[in-house]
Amino acid sequence: MARLTTTLLGRRLLGRKLLGRKLLGRKLLGGLFLVLGSTGIAWSTPQVPDDDALVLAELPPGARHESAPARELAGARFDVALPLAQFYIARSRASGDLRYLGYAEAVLEPWARRNPVAPAVRVLEATILQSRHAFDAALQQLELALRAQPDDAQAWLTRATVLRVQGRYADAMASCGRLADRADAAVTALCQQSIAGLTGRLRPAYTALVALPLQQLSAEARAWRYSELGEMAERLGDDAAAEHWFTEGLQLDADDLYMRAAYADLLLRQARAAEALQLLTGYESMEPMLLRIVIAQQLLGDRRDAANRAVLSGAFDVEQQRGEAVHRREQARFLLDVEQQPAAALAAAQENWRVQREPDDVLILLRSAQAAHRPDAAAPALQFLQQQQLEDVRIAPYQRELR
Amino acid sequence: MSTRMLLATVLALMLLASPAARAHVASNGFLVVQVQGAQLRGSIELAVRDVELAIGVDANRDGRVTWGELRASEPQLIQYVAQHLSIGAQGSRCPLDFQGLQVNHRVDGNYAWLPFSAQCRQSVRQLAIRYSLMDAIDPSHRGLLTLTDGAIAQTGVLGGSDAPALFRVDAPSPGRAFVEYLQAGIWHIWSGIDHLLFLFSLLLPAVLLRRHGHWEPVTRVRPAFISILKVVTAFTLAHSITLSLAALDVVRLPSRLTESVIAASIVVAALNNIFPLVTESRARIAFAFGLLHGFGFASVLADMGLPHGARLISLLGFNLGIEAGQLAVVLAVMPIIYMVRGDAVYRRTLMPWGSAVIAAVALVWLVQRAFLPTG
Repeated sequence: MARLTTTLLGRRLLGRKLLGRKLLGRKLLGGLFLVLGSTGIAWSTPQVPDDDALVLAELPPGARHESAPARELAGARFDVALPLAQFYIARSRASGDLRYLGYAEAVLEPWARRNPVAPAVRVLEATILQSRHAFDAALQQLELALRAQPDDAQAWLTRATVLRVQGRYADAMASCGRLADRADAAVTALCQQSIAGLTGRLRPAYTALVALPLQQLSAEARAWRYSELGEMAERLGDDAAAEHWFTEGLQLDADDLYMRAAYADLLLRQARAAEALQLLTGYESMEPMLLRIVIAQQLLGDRRDAANRAVLSGAFDVEQQRGEAVHRREQARFLLDVEQQPAAALAAAQENWRVQREPDDVLILLRSAQAAHRPDAAAPALQFLQQQQLEDVRIAPYQRELR
Repeated sequence: MSTRMLLATVLALMLLASPAARAHVASNGFLVVQVQGAQLRGSIELAVRDVELAIGVDANRDGRVTWGELRASEPQLIQYVAQHLSIGAQGSRCPLDFQGLQVNHRVDGNYAWLPFSAQCRQSVRQLAIRYSLMDAIDPSHRGLLTLTDGAIAQTGVLGGSDAPALFRVDAPSPGRAFVEYLQAGIWHIWSGIDHLLFLFSLLLPAVLLRRHGHWEPVTRVRPAFISILKVVTAFTLAHSITLSLAALDVVRLPSRLTESVIAASIVVAALNNIFPLVTESRARIAFAFGLLHGFGFASVLADMGLPHGARLISLLGFNLGIEAGQLAVVLAVMPIIYMVRGDAVYRRTLMPWGSAVIAAVALVWLVQRAFLPTG
């Protein structure tokens, strides 16, 4: 596989080489070179460290060579492969580290080549694909898994989630319906009400979830409920309630990165940048979090934002070269709110729209279209809003203006 | 599976299924290949974390990889890379010679950086790259390739396939070569601060006249303009001559010598503004030192290389790029200097002290380039 794009990289390489040679000059004339630094993907030069004790990498759990025997065993034993893949996927969820998805994929690979493929393997593969935003491929795996095993509750739930992200609410609702006889009533209700809240029944769905009896739910399901409640309250315009749900939810599950990001957005929207920064401390290694940190730093006039901007744009460049769209939404927001390049932001938001259609995706597309003075580009999102009767007070003003 | 277990599985996985975009950067290797005729130069970079998974470098198993541990594993790393990366040209293999492990810092952590060189049997027209690093450990790992032939660059994504990836390294069209090298020339002037400092040192006094041991502002535009024109033309003419001679391999000077003398030329030109020895014919200084700056440009061009089949047109592009970049700076700076020339602050403070700063910076470069070991 060789995707080929021609660029003007030669010039950048050249600039980098010169920067390396004139190290002292760079220090003396640092300002001049900041401009140059922002043009390259990584412009630091390789070095030979002078201290043997210098720590180059801290190895996170499961990422040591020691685990090689376990991974090898997983190739021979299904009862080792499944939990190991689940472990890696769970690590990826908690740490935001994409590499774990690759480790999980490697563990599943020999089992995915078998004929027939076990439905459990397909469901895990779908989860990996979904985390990489390869939604259509994820759905394909789920269809195959469900054909072999129509009773698989996890497969129906994952399917509902993927369809929801794609904005295919009717199909998603049907998938939630298939959970009814196979999973807990409370999980089914969560699944159904979260879709109802996106399709013209926001207030009743919110009321239903508030009333959902807690004792029926496990800790994970409770955190999910808090996350849904927080977002629903935000869409209803009740920020105080939203904040209540987010803080409760994060107390229950501090590792829920999605909820943390949503809470940070709420704080940023209310210009409470210092609180947002505090909320995100320690999460700098994750691009979606770093984006919000940079926005907060800009609001505060914090000079450290420049370095973080370079990190983010480097990470986006690498993703682009890989041809992946995992963080296209974040990239669009970065271009719009941080770099102030509305035209480029709109292009990224449009590309993102082809992949996913959550309220946040609607919002970034409308905001970019408005900033770029391209109301025509907002049409697909406006049509979507009308079709689904999606209610969201954050979106409504743009909806009115762009119509 | 019991209902209870089923539910536990469902719930354990449920949040995975929540629609968040959450990720660091995925695992990437960075491969740089520079083609120069039948010769390849390049580097391969793997995250230290990935190296640990592939070959196990954390000797004391404390969960941290130190430079000492990585260095001790260099032979295993080279062996691993050699097994999983191979490059061929037109059907025959170009054996890779790895040496000199270093560390590079990137946005997602430290990388093991391994330079290599390779000799192909004949001048490269098509490269075949087989890349299977991290294959069985992380199938989502990709190699991000930057392939350059002179200033002409292309990028590619490697891995995820057993078949080698093919890249054509053809002679570029004359138009494309010209444009790419023109841009490279402009870029070089704007990032190569030493040439600009030299030019500034010569231009600062161009709006003044030396009379009875004092600087006086010129009274009309014409003499200032002619003075600038002479300096810039002399500098351009001189470095064009040596740049062409060196680029076409007629003359070669060791780069340490040229780099040192370029630094010295800045010191001399700047000091001449403070303790004027040469006041009338700065154009001659410009010409004499311009010859040396030309060798400096040539060494940059030698690093980039000229694409075969488009050498002369690329050289012309690079040279014109340098002139264009230089002219843009002169046009931006000179009107300002001309306007403030009558101000005593310019004559007594800005010009001499500005020159002193330039001389000091250049002196540091001179010491660095002439006496310190090159890294």
